[in-house]
Amino acid sequence: MNKRILFLATTFFMLGGCVTGYTLVEPGQHSIDTMTVNASSGWNLAPGYASVGKRKTAQTWTQDGLLLDRLVFIPAVPDGQPLLISRAKDAALPVFRKDMLPNELEELVESTIVKYFGEGQAAVSTSKLRPHRFGDHRGVMFDISAEVTESPTYNGIVGAFIANDELYIMWYFGAEPYYYDKHLADAEAIISSATLAALN
Amino acid sequence: MIHRLPTALVLVMLLCGSPALAEKEPLDHKIPPGYVPEEARDEQGLWMEFEEMERTLNKSALLVRDADINNYITEIVCRVAAAYCNDFRVYVIRNPGFNASMTATGMMQIWTGLIIRANSTDEIAAVVGHEIAHYTRLHSLQRLRDMKKKLAAGSVFDLAVILATGYSTPLGQMTAMMSVLSFSREQETEADLLGTRILAEASYNPHASYKVWQRIIAEEEAAAVKRRKPSAFSQTHPATQQRASYLESLVVSTYGEDDAESVADEKLLAILNNHYLFLMEDQLDTNRFGRTKELLERHREIGVEPSLVYYFYGEMFRQRNEEGDMQLAMDSYLHSIEAGAPPPDAFKSLGYLHLKSGDNTAAQIQFRKYLEIDPTADDRAMIEFYLEE
Repeated sequence: MNKRILFLATTFFMLGGCVTGYTLVEPGQHSIDTMTVNASSGWNLAPGYASVGKRKTAQTWTQDGLLLDRLVFIPAVPDGQPLLISRAKDAALPVFRKDMLPNELEELVESTIVKYFGEGQAAVSTSKLRPHRFGDHRGVMFDISAEVTESPTYNGIVGAFIANDELYIMWYFGAEPYYYDKHLADAEAIISSATLAALN
Repeated sequence: MIHRLPTALVLVMLLCGSPALAEKEPLDHKIPPGYVPEEARDEQGLWMEFEEMERTLNKSALLVRDADINNYITEIVCRVAAAYCNDFRVYVIRNPGFNASMTATGMMQIWTGLIIRANSTDEIAAVVGHEIAHYTRLHSLQRLRDMKKKLAAGSVFDLAVILATGYSTPLGQMTAMMSVLSFSREQETEADLLGTRILAEASYNPHASYKVWQRIIAEEEAAAVKRRKPSAFSQTHPATQQRASYLESLVVSTYGEDDAESVADEKLLAILNNHYLFLMEDQLDTNRFGRTKELLERHREIGVEPSLVYYFYGEMFRQRNEEGDMQLAMDSYLHSIEAGAPPPDAFKSLGYLHLKSGDNTAAQIQFRKYLEIDPTADDRAMIEFYLEE
């Protein structure tokens, strides 16, 4: 009987740990690994378990919940590695290469987002590829749209730059209608503000 | 539902003799055209669930609404279905995988991946025939009833486990659920056999019934990243190799050798040529370059517009980025351009390749051509950035 009680108590505490975890992101400057961003409003930092395929140093922020909007930061992706982590050996995730040009970064994100929603479960397209300077680093921004099966359509923007042979990438997705527009300006300002922390 | 992956168990099934193959009476439809369940409550419940599913599907963002594609597929379905034509609603789904499915209510889904994998309209018709056979043989209803029986047996098993060990585990019910997620091996074989018959009756080439599987085998062999083997739970379907073999034997013995002349399938080519960009971009986004290359080889052989096929060869080699691929990509883009009427992106991608190789002058020449052809390109700001450097 004692063993059973111990088992139940342990399970209870473990599950208790799973249902908490969202923490407030105050307005201001924030460091995400070696990257710094400025937020003009408050967001909520999602716990790691809520973000599928999250790299260890990545962060996901949200305003109204992950199904409605999410702002993802993936800092310092090394050459030859994917943006997401998958245990599936047949996932065929695209990988970052340090010599990637803007069009290739666009394709990398497009294919990664297809895998994120599930291969065959989303048709993803990108547009308006444009140059953008992140601190001292040349980078790009572009728009993205994902039509997802049995789900709202998501629109978003992506910012990316390569520094020290590593990729720094951020994307914002918001559900259509309403939520994409609701947080777009905030999210775009945060993505645009990204720089390498070491340079500040 | 069409299942793509091979299993080893089917060899045993064939050696032992499949009930469907061993049946002396020829398979036939179990229901008349216009069938609606009237008595059985479980069947009516099943219909209600599928009707709800269809309402959701109607709102799907991935539903292909293009009239050309829908008319092409619906025409095939009606020709194969013959008297059952009005029983079906056809939905073309934007998904680069190989699949088609049918519910008990006549809701048929065809994935765009089937269109890019077929070498002929006959091969699409073969898959359609298979799905129609599932419908007219009431396989969904059989599956539901089978599930109920197995769940009941699973519950008894779980109860026995509780009594014996004191622990509650849903193992029996879970096993039952997993075993009925798909059509059974016998149902798949029945659908193959009846599907082939109605294919031939609709004056499509019955040899397409096994050729479509041969192509799936070829694609799997060409794949750089193989699909995972199916779990023990899903090893209930005829293996692809076995399926191709028994269908070929059946068709050759029934209809003779395939002596049809190889002629261009104008209807399929028109669909591919007019919609190639979105169809193949979805395939390219899967990041499965071995499979994409195999599809491009076929498209080149069946006569898809060379400027389109070579453009995607370029995209595939460039994104694959293995040793020698940059040169192969450049050559492919040049082939696309020489073939006439290439996608404007062929110039842009070629420009980026020159940029990567350090030849800024050559890059700028291609970038200028790109903007000449597509002056409202949405990435104009990026291209102008490189032109001003």
